[in-house]
Amino acid sequence: MRKNSIRFEFSLASRFLTENRMQTFLIILGIAIGVSVMVFLSALIDGLQANLIEKTVGRSPHIVISSDENAAAEAVKSLNGNPVLVLDATRKTMRPMVEWRNITAGLTADQRIKTALPVVEGSGLIERGQISRAILLKGFDLNQADRIYNLTGSLVAGSPNLPDGAVLIGKDLAADLGVSVGEPITLELSGRDSLPVVVDGIFDLGVSAINQRWMVMDQRRAAALLGMGDRVNTIEVQVHDVLQADALAAEWSQRLPGLAVESWQESNASLLAGLRSQSSSSYTIQFFVMLAVILGVASVLAISAVQKSKQIGILKAMGIRTGSVSRVFMIQGLVLGTLGTLSGLGLGLLMSKAFIVLAKQDYTLLLKPMTTAIIVLSTIVAAVLAAYLPARQVSQIDPIEVIRNN
Amino acid sequence: MGITRDFGDKVKTRVLFGVDLEIRRGEFTSLIGASGSGKSTLLNIIGALDRPTEGKVIIDGTDLGTLDDDGLALFRNQTMGFIFQSHFLLPQFTVLENVMIPYLIYAGRATPTVKKRALDLLERVGLSHRRDYRANAISGGEQQRAAIARALINQPRMILADEPTGNLDTSNTENVFAMLREINQEFKTSFIMVTHDRVLAERTDRLLIMRDGQIVEDICHI
Repeated sequence: MRKNSIRFEFSLASRFLTENRMQTFLIILGIAIGVSVMVFLSALIDGLQANLIEKTVGRSPHIVISSDENAAAEAVKSLNGNPVLVLDATRKTMRPMVEWRNITAGLTADQRIKTALPVVEGSGLIERGQISRAILLKGFDLNQADRIYNLTGSLVAGSPNLPDGAVLIGKDLAADLGVSVGEPITLELSGRDSLPVVVDGIFDLGVSAINQRWMVMDQRRAAALLGMGDRVNTIEVQVHDVLQADALAAEWSQRLPGLAVESWQESNASLLAGLRSQSSSSYTIQFFVMLAVILGVASVLAISAVQKSKQIGILKAMGIRTGSVSRVFMIQGLVLGTLGTLSGLGLGLLMSKAFIVLAKQDYTLLLKPMTTAIIVLSTIVAAVLAAYLPARQVSQIDPIEVIRNN
Repeated sequence: MGITRDFGDKVKTRVLFGVDLEIRRGEFTSLIGASGSGKSTLLNIIGALDRPTEGKVIIDGTDLGTLDDDGLALFRNQTMGFIFQSHFLLPQFTVLENVMIPYLIYAGRATPTVKKRALDLLERVGLSHRRDYRANAISGGEQQRAAIARALINQPRMILADEPTGNLDTSNTENVFAMLREINQEFKTSFIMVTHDRVLAERTDRLLIMRDGQIVEDICHI
């Protein structure tokens, strides 16, 4: 019997809604505009943030593992004309890692980690003719490094089939030195004789700091040049879920005592703070839009409840139950909410498309299925809840009052 | 039996003073009395729209005092037919749909039997040609006849009519009263009709006159 009553409740609700088409249309439009703003706003913010994060960490390690102790550097200085050996503890170079093979194997075995790249690093100078530039010499396995940096895909000069021991330099560095592929340059490393090397390729990683400073070669060759033996300075890690990098870093920090494990979030704390405040202002706007939707639905149904009180009174005399009357108005909230939300979703998608075409931004909007589902469901639920007060009020109508007052 | 009804929370106004009344099946009773004599209140209590402050209402063996609000609603729907001075048809529905509403409230969908019954009732009240009109697109007399058909759709055992002809002219009044009488005789439906029209009341089986919350005269015409 209850199931059958609901059929009548639906038909009554739909007659009430279609009776005053303009009112119904306007409130659906109101909800739709609210929802489209929420959808568009979250697509915009999410797209912007994903783009910023991608720019920040797309082609860089998400976690860097290094020794947490400074390496003591040895240097020969002259004191009163006599050479003396001193230790310089202020140098920022980190103590090299010996156990890097085991650590790398352990990292690679972690399903959440995409790639782990042992890196040999050292600073030096490149000279060509009168020009000299400070460089960062990076030594790593080129094939494996492609998974982080896509170096071979970023070559602007030189063959992608690089020979063993190939030397690559950044685009801006090459331009500064006026060097092209196949030409020799001189590499100066502290405590070593000048070493002539030939440039095999020039890359453009899209980050000027890298393009200006990096010289890349095979790990073993770099280690030999830097006198590192079978040791590395850092292990660079990329993970599958960038936003989980900090949690993963904390976990690995526990497992690797004596090593510093730093996530991109730690090195980019201010960016993240910016993103967070952006998100919270977006949530604030969405909250007030939602509030406006709720008030809109509630006021329209409250007016409708007053308009229909006579008919509700007579229906109650004819035996409709109080709960049924409530449901008639809750159903109206549900129908208004659903139609408004779905058209708002369509409108929001249209706005997003139009924005991409018109604004010509270099980032795309990102409509996350989860976010969309939350907006859609919460608006529908809000519309039903908004109907609750008018529904309660109208269901309390006393048929005798209606009949007596005619 | 012994029905008393007070209104008001702080200052109690007693409208009915221990009314005892027994209605026999198939009886056409009319209830007259000055405004404020309590006749509408009595009708509402008999019709399960209102509860007595004291006393019991027993209809066909059911003590209405034992039913909760939903129970009373169902009881009204299944047992009672209401005709009011104002027709109270729902303007969102057609005449035919309006007639079926008391059935639809609980059944949701009209069976062919019910639809045929509704059409028969419309035929009987002379509104077959208006069946698909919106309820607010027909005349006042037609609307009141549609309301009569609506009161009958669930085949109630009792019809309560509160000034059913109050808004109608003489010829429509005659028409509607004849119709009620006919239904009363054909279906053996009990009627209680509140009216101001003494002449009309004289033509019913039993005439109750109320004054100051009591039945002061009970005149049987059979």
